[in-house]
Amino acid sequence: MFLRTNNSISRKLTWMNMLVSGAALLLACASFITYDMLTFRATMVRNLSTQAQIIGSNSVSALLFNDPQSAENTLSALKVAHNILSAGIYSKDGVLFASYTRNPADRNLAIPSLLRGQVEVHWFKNKEVVLVRSIVFEGKPTGTVCIRSDVKELDSGLKRYVVIASIVLAVCLVAALLVSSIFRRAVAEPIIDLAEVARAVSREKNYAVRAPRTNGSGELAILIDAFNEMLVQIQQNERALREARDDLEQRVMERTAELEKAKREVETFSFSILRAKEELERASKFKDQFLSTMSHELRTPLNAVLGFSELLTEERYGPLNERQRRYIKHIHTGGKHLLRLINDILDLSKIEAGRLQLTIENVPVPTSFAEVVDIMRSLADKKSQTLLQEAPSGLSVRADSTRFKQVLMNLIGNAIKFTPEGGEIRLSAHRLESAVRVEVRDSGPGIPVEEQQRIFEAFYRLGERDKKTEGTGLGLAITRRLVELHGGTLGLESQPGSGSCFFFTLPVAEAVAIPEVQASRREIRTAEFPRILVIEDDRAAALLLQSHLTSAGYDVVLCDQPGRALEMAAELQPSAVTMDIIMRPVNGWELLSSFKTDPRTARIPVVLVTIIDQPATGASLGADEYIVKPVKKATLLAAVERCMSHRKHIGRTRPILVVEDDAATREFVGELLSKHGYVVTTAVNGSQARAQVAAFLPELVILDLILPEVSGFELLAEWRTNSRTADLPVFVLTSKDLTPAEQSYIHTHTALLLQKQQPWQETLVAQLRRALPGVLSEKS
Amino acid sequence: MGQSSDTSSWRSGTRPGLLSDFQRGRALLRGLVVALVLLVTTGLLAQQSKPNEYQVKATYLYNFGRFVRWPGTVPAAKGDSFSVCVIGRDPFGSILDSTLAGESLDGKPVVLRRIAKPQEAGECRILFISSTEEKHLNEILTALDQSGVLTVSDMPGFTRRGGMIQFVLDGDRVRFEINLTSTESARLTLSSELLKVAASVKRNGRSGD
Repeated sequence: MFLRTNNSISRKLTWMNMLVSGAALLLACASFITYDMLTFRATMVRNLSTQAQIIGSNSVSALLFNDPQSAENTLSALKVAHNILSAGIYSKDGVLFASYTRNPADRNLAIPSLLRGQVEVHWFKNKEVVLVRSIVFEGKPTGTVCIRSDVKELDSGLKRYVVIASIVLAVCLVAALLVSSIFRRAVAEPIIDLAEVARAVSREKNYAVRAPRTNGSGELAILIDAFNEMLVQIQQNERALREARDDLEQRVMERTAELEKAKREVETFSFSILRAKEELERASKFKDQFLSTMSHELRTPLNAVLGFSELLTEERYGPLNERQRRYIKHIHTGGKHLLRLINDILDLSKIEAGRLQLTIENVPVPTSFAEVVDIMRSLADKKSQTLLQEAPSGLSVRADSTRFKQVLMNLIGNAIKFTPEGGEIRLSAHRLESAVRVEVRDSGPGIPVEEQQRIFEAFYRLGERDKKTEGTGLGLAITRRLVELHGGTLGLESQPGSGSCFFFTLPVAEAVAIPEVQASRREIRTAEFPRILVIEDDRAAALLLQSHLTSAGYDVVLCDQPGRALEMAAELQPSAVTMDIIMRPVNGWELLSSFKTDPRTARIPVVLVTIIDQPATGASLGADEYIVKPVKKATLLAAVERCMSHRKHIGRTRPILVVEDDAATREFVGELLSKHGYVVTTAVNGSQARAQVAAFLPELVILDLILPEVSGFELLAEWRTNSRTADLPVFVLTSKDLTPAEQSYIHTHTALLLQKQQPWQETLVAQLRRALPGVLSEKS
Repeated sequence: MGQSSDTSSWRSGTRPGLLSDFQRGRALLRGLVVALVLLVTTGLLAQQSKPNEYQVKATYLYNFGRFVRWPGTVPAAKGDSFSVCVIGRDPFGSILDSTLAGESLDGKPVVLRRIAKPQEAGECRILFISSTEEKHLNEILTALDQSGVLTVSDMPGFTRRGGMIQFVLDGDRVRFEINLTSTESARLTLSSELLKVAASVKRNGRSGD
């Protein structure tokens, strides 16, 4: 342990010396002592054995002649031997014959039977040695003698030896100490010096120091030389390393600077990319705005040109001479052409920019055919052409309804244009595997093969040869793009002299029933059929009335609880009410009175339908019509019609509000409506319209969407959230290009959407007639 | 024996009600068996540990032969065998025969002879003279003079009358007296060991000690 805590090599050497010499001495002493002890013991046993033999031979006669006294005399001679503790002579039979003890109290005698056939045995036990020897006389065992002796002599010998050994050991160790101090000078001190230098080097990193040389050329000298040589090497290496490190630092700094530079460049570059992107986005936005503005700003004046020129041709404001009429017709034709051209250019650019959004739905082919043919027929009639259409009922395509019709109109328009007078144009559709093939076949002159490919290019006009044909040259290009946007293809089959056939495919719509339901529902909404509240607690009678009225196009609501009838009427504000007299718990007379006294329902016409024949009572209570059951359909409808017209007549003071910022259009619409007998009031912007509607409820609103201050969308949203104006009929008339979302919003919240891109005047008048039947009947 | 039956009676006495007749009988039987065994073994041990007088005397006769040296010239030592003789009525019976059977002394086999007349004792090494020959003692001793025969007897006054070794009883112990004059005149050498253990050593009938 001491060796480990003290690292000094000289101490280690000293201790090693001491340990080695000490251990050797100890071993030697131990060996000598052991040997001496063993020898001593053997001598002791031999002495005892001799004594036993003497006693034995001197006791033979005593044993043989049974004379213990004689034997004891012999034993008593042992008194002179101080080490003998006791002795005994035993007869041949093992019986104690004679005994001797130094200490009378000590009777501890051995048992001779332990001999077991041997002549003599001895053993050491409890610091005693016992020897048993058989007495043999003339070759015959005669008895046994036992001698017990102490080993005090042995112990004292051992003690003496240990003392001597200790003294020798101490002397030797001192000598070893002296010798090792000599060794230390020769071996340890140079090593200590070396270690001191090594420690200094490792602590101070000073590689310039050197270990002192020793005399001689032993391993120690070699070690010191090698160490010094190593220090020289390290010194050199360290210098080289420091230089390399400095160089590396320099290079790292250079690289870092380069990287910084590159990073700044990348940042600058990415910033410029970002700016370019922003510019591109801004440019794209400008382009969108431009297109939107174009469509609005170009169409609005054109609409005025077209509208007023048409009004002038009607000669409502005085007769025109032939030249005036011709000029006005030129104006009108030119305007129409310009409008078509603008529409086509805008459409094409929108398609090219990928910004044309389609509202794909299930479109019934026969319905679309019918609508398109309806529109195009007048054009065909002008050239005495036959326009035929055939499509399997229930056939639907997945398409944008408006664009589908546009495609059809373009193709039919082309066909009409290029087919001579009296020709035939056939529109047909049939189902292929997963598509619908639509064909427009004409009996025209056909298209030469060399022109068949170029015909779909923009601005290519087939009619170059024939200067009289009019058109933008964009129709087929747009048509083709539209078909392709739907995932279909547009193609042409033609033989010069035997007509042309333009055909295209569209994906087929599998579900057939749903689109029809949707169509009919929308039809009802847009038509805004007058609502009739049928108050009748007899189920069968109520269903009969509902059947009659629904077949005439009325929107029927049934009420079989007379107690709730007043509230329902106040809430629904129906165009008319039919009422039974005999009802529980409230009868018709009472109900009629409360209707006429409640300001909310006082103005609603009431038709009494009853088996009680008391028309006078009914009239006195304020009933508008009185029908006695059984009810005839014609009588019922006539009575309801009378009520409605009566009501319209009363409400004629309520005008139609035209909201339009463009003065020309506003005036034109006003003229158009006045021409058909409607009372018109106008608003030039959104806030005016808002104020007017707030002041008094108009019969209907014709609303432009793009307005100064407050837009049409905002007005619509306001009106629809207000319960007073929630049911106010609104027609939207706009030149704005609508997104599908905007279109669906308008369809949901208004009665009609008219777009100025298409001819709209006739549609407007027709829809007004349906929406406000009272006015119509008055006029007729 | 007594203790065993005591134990038995104590057990039956203190718990009379607890022991059945059968049990009582068995306890009694066991007591008897133990008593018998004890009787026999103690008797045998007594016999063994206490050899009778003539057995000891017979052994002594033999052992005398081991401590006496006969000169080669005497007639007694000339024979091929070591003769032990008994004259007169033999008190040993078969004990002497069995003691000496197979033994040898002075390098010769021991032979036991029973003789009637002193003339027959010429080749005997040791002659035991029975006490029945008391009347003829002088005659016998005279006849054996110079013949080298060791004379032994247990008759009283033997050594006083010229005999060599006489057995005496010291209590139960058998000891012997020696008449050294007689042995010396017969040229016999007695070992000091023998003299050491003799009850008394005399010269011509008087005690030498």
